[in-house]
Amino acid sequence: MVHPLANQSPIHTTAAAEFWHGVRDELPLMLAVVPFGMVFGVLGLASGLAPLEVVLLSSIVFAGASQVVFVQMWGAATPGFLVGGSVAVINLRHALYSASVAKYLQHLPLRWRLLLAYLLTDEAYALSIQRFQQQPPSPNQHYHLLGSGLTLWSCWQIATIIGVFAGAMIPNSWSLDFAIPLTFIALVAPAIKNRADLAACVTSATVALAGQGLPWQSWILTAAVAGIMAGWLVQRRTRGAA
Amino acid sequence: MIWIVMITTGCLTFLIRFSMLSGFAPKKLPAAFENALGFVPIAVLTSIIGPAVLIDQAGDFDIAGNPRLPAAIIATGVALLTRSAPATIASGLIALWGADWLFY
Repeated sequence: MVHPLANQSPIHTTAAAEFWHGVRDELPLMLAVVPFGMVFGVLGLASGLAPLEVVLLSSIVFAGASQVVFVQMWGAATPGFLVGGSVAVINLRHALYSASVAKYLQHLPLRWRLLLAYLLTDEAYALSIQRFQQQPPSPNQHYHLLGSGLTLWSCWQIATIIGVFAGAMIPNSWSLDFAIPLTFIALVAPAIKNRADLAACVTSATVALAGQGLPWQSWILTAAVAGIMAGWLVQRRTRGAA
Repeated sequence: MIWIVMITTGCLTFLIRFSMLSGFAPKKLPAAFENALGFVPIAVLTSIIGPAVLIDQAGDFDIAGNPRLPAAIIATGVALLTRSAPATIASGLIALWGADWLFY
């Protein structure tokens, strides 16, 4: 899918203009990211991690949903290789983003590609790929991803720290841990667009519920893989029929 | 021990994000793999939503008298209508507190 504008002749935008454009595009998403980061901080402490471990998880791994899985599994005394393996499977989708931005970034020096890869999250990708595809190319366009990525990074770190401090003070009766499934509902519900998506969703939920007895919270990975396979198979069948 | 797992996990996540920018990867991912990856967010997130709503703290199924169930249904409706994460989170939490207060 090449947007017509992407073939336009290059324009010259300054690095600062692209950077601030990225920051501005990203800011509205912070309404959802900041509460999510705070809840992650609260949940991390509740799972038995030390405050410093929770805070640094947000900068070392820097991938929200997989951090939730990390603390859930670690809290249930899961062996490290299973925690790492599950997080890696969950974050495999970033390979898609990496492939999709490669076209716009592969000419950059290594230090830029390392930095932008670190900042390549769902939210930053979603907005910067729109800029790359829908607006005329510019030699400084990678600053857009730097702007969106750093905005998300800063907000995520600050929100985690607030969550860790607030976690000790928020009473359990507020049920704030329920904000995690609610955040995920906000992401999943609008993403279900066809029968294959629905099959992935229903299969994953069913296997997760049926697999609660599995050791080390391995139902997360089992259900995820089953859901991915179900979606993929249904998509193949519906496409084959069409 | 946790530090080794955290750093390994962080490196794996970084390597996935860097993979196609490294200059060593093929230009395109295999189509079947790419299609399968498209289902990762729905499959992973739903696997966490299901038990978070329907399993109680003792690890048992909890349907009758579970305030999280109506709260999740209301939040799903709000998510579909508004496509807004803050609205979804707020409506779900308010519904949960409301259901708790009204019925349980």
